[in-house]
Amino acid sequence: MKKASELNFGEKGIIKDIITLNPSYKRIIEIGFTPGQEIQLVNTSIFNDPLTFSLRGTLIALRKNQADCIILN
Amino acid sequence: MPEIPLINLVGPPNSGKTTLFNIFSGKHFKTVNYPGSTVEYSSSDFLDKFNIKAKILDSPGLISLNANSPDEEVAVESLFYQPNNGIPNLILVTADASQITRHLLLTKQIIEAGFKVVLVLTMIDILNRKNLKVNTKLLSEILGIDVVTVNARTEEGIDDLIRVIKKNLSGAKSTPEYQRLNEFKEKEYLIKTYEDIEKIVNQVIEPLNPDIQNANRQLNILNPLLRESTQKPDALTLKIDKILLHKYFGFIFFLIMMGAIFTSIFWLAAPLMDLVDTLFSILASYASETLGNNWYSDLISDGIISGTGAVLIFLPQILILFLILGLLEDTGYLARGAMLIDKPLSKIGLNGKSFVPMLSGFACAIPAILSTRTISNRRERLLTIFIIPLMSCSARLPVYVLLIAYLIPSDRPWLGGFILSFVYLVSIILSVIVAYVINKFNKSLIKEKDDSSFILELPTYKLPKLRVVLRNSFENSKEYILRAGPIILVLSLIIWSLTYLPNNVPDFDKTGLTEDEIVQLEKAERISNSYAAKIGTFIEPIMHPLGLDWRVGVSLIAAFAAREVFVSSMALIFKVTDDENIQTSLLTAMRNAKVESTGEPLFTKATSIGLIFFFIFALQCISTLAVSRKETGSWRIPILQLVIFTSTAYVFTFIIVNLLKSIGIN
Repeated sequence: MKKASELNFGEKGIIKDIITLNPSYKRIIEIGFTPGQEIQLVNTSIFNDPLTFSLRGTLIALRKNQADCIILN
Repeated sequence: MPEIPLINLVGPPNSGKTTLFNIFSGKHFKTVNYPGSTVEYSSSDFLDKFNIKAKILDSPGLISLNANSPDEEVAVESLFYQPNNGIPNLILVTADASQITRHLLLTKQIIEAGFKVVLVLTMIDILNRKNLKVNTKLLSEILGIDVVTVNARTEEGIDDLIRVIKKNLSGAKSTPEYQRLNEFKEKEYLIKTYEDIEKIVNQVIEPLNPDIQNANRQLNILNPLLRESTQKPDALTLKIDKILLHKYFGFIFFLIMMGAIFTSIFWLAAPLMDLVDTLFSILASYASETLGNNWYSDLISDGIISGTGAVLIFLPQILILFLILGLLEDTGYLARGAMLIDKPLSKIGLNGKSFVPMLSGFACAIPAILSTRTISNRRERLLTIFIIPLMSCSARLPVYVLLIAYLIPSDRPWLGGFILSFVYLVSIILSVIVAYVINKFNKSLIKEKDDSSFILELPTYKLPKLRVVLRNSFENSKEYILRAGPIILVLSLIIWSLTYLPNNVPDFDKTGLTEDEIVQLEKAERISNSYAAKIGTFIEPIMHPLGLDWRVGVSLIAAFAAREVFVSSMALIFKVTDDENIQTSLLTAMRNAKVESTGEPLFTKATSIGLIFFFIFALQCISTLAVSRKETGSWRIPILQLVIFTSTAYVFTFIIVNLLKSIGIN
């Protein structure tokens, strides 16, 4: 079970599910992280947190513990 | 009397909602480039030229009807019912056409909640550049509402939109059902809605150029998800981010950038601030010369004119700060800065979005506190407001300059710069420690639950619209003057009365003195006998452990109007009569000053360093307290700030003065 937070820099993945690990999981879905979507980790910054994902034609920055909610295929 | 119809403007952040509002209202508001920035709602009538008798409300940016913060909850609830305005007749929902899938979520929820909706598609030009367009007729049929495309920049499509609004206002009103919100909270509902939207989008997005339609069809068969080439982020943005968000250089660039902003707040503003200062001194002395030597002349020159000067002196800095931040926001960099600094700030209970307010705090705490509205998490927002007064605002600069000038030998002026940088460094470190400690006591002090999150859309880079940025800087500066101005002015007048009344000037030997010197000495005598002096004498027992006496106490009280008043009030109280070079004569007066009860020198190295520390910590600014009260919604936080920071300042100063004395630095 791979999480979005475990992607390597530049690596892509397809979302399988969003789990309720973090209270903000609903907002994560609402902003566009839904099952079937392809995401790519495009930036990690010096502290490795937050992570920036390319998703649905835009860039979204999430904290690592929030990206833990995103389960990939 | 016929009821005036109500139209509510709703949309996700960055969907062009505020730009549309500006077109309708003719009012000039901020075009936001930082998700979640419009926290207050704005209300206006339509401009006459549109010929619509209706009220239009601009509510904060919403991603969904599922509120994620107290601010969003207010925004969502007020959609359904507003005490002042009732239920909206019509909701205009804006959606970025190039982000159509993500932005249609809100539209669908609002339609399903039972509102009457007109969908406004913006930024169609960005979609067109990708050789795609939206079939609005089909979209309108599927959603069952009117859909209009608008280019907010060229105002193309506005006429169409006006026509559609008029048509929709003539029909039945909205009949929203608040209970539907519960359904929207379900994970299954959200995922299902997204699937529905994806199907709709696949139907309505069409190639702009029919020639490549075939190629697209083939792609479509291979992978339906790739159909939407809106899926690719802006290529130029990705390229720029490779440099500006480079794992290591990105952070170095950020630090350089912030250092540059920080220094430019001071260096660019300095000549302008001097100009304001000189202008008001000239004005004050002109008034006092014209009106003669009497109480109303004094009230006008020292009270009103100097008080107004105290407000306006910070205007250049605030203007420059807003200008630079506005440019950075408009280019899209500010959101990235917040992302880069989020990790270290989250360690002390803050958020990446706390950074800009903290930086602004070095100019003035008032605009800084106002700008915390972009922080959606209430605990983080309150904590940010809490520590902002610890950022050494520019009002403290004249005080530091005076005390440092007193400390360093005159043959080594370069030492001053070093000490000043050190003072700023200390204030930053202290505020980090304080934030950490306050956060540890979150339960008893801030009283908000810890559900910190950081979700931020990084906008596409674009060239800033200088005209918009300039206008916003002026608007924000105007807001500073309107909010802080009256408070500072009234306080200055109160402090002036305390230092002037009961206007008791004993006779003194005037032989051999020029007229100017007599006036100055009269002023000095008046303040020595004033109510402020009585308060100063009253608090002398408190000042004594710090090695200071009532005269410094009075100046510290006067500094509550505005910190830099400390310097001018010291000049008054130490009877400095030389108008030409106040600082030099004040320094001489300070060197000669003795503690009246003991006869020991008043300003030693120990007491001067102690005073610097007092100013780093103490919350001596009533305007800050008033704004903090307004923004936090109660007196609890401002009172905690006042008590904690001022008592810490006292204890710290006490320890430092006595520690330095005990090791022989005197």
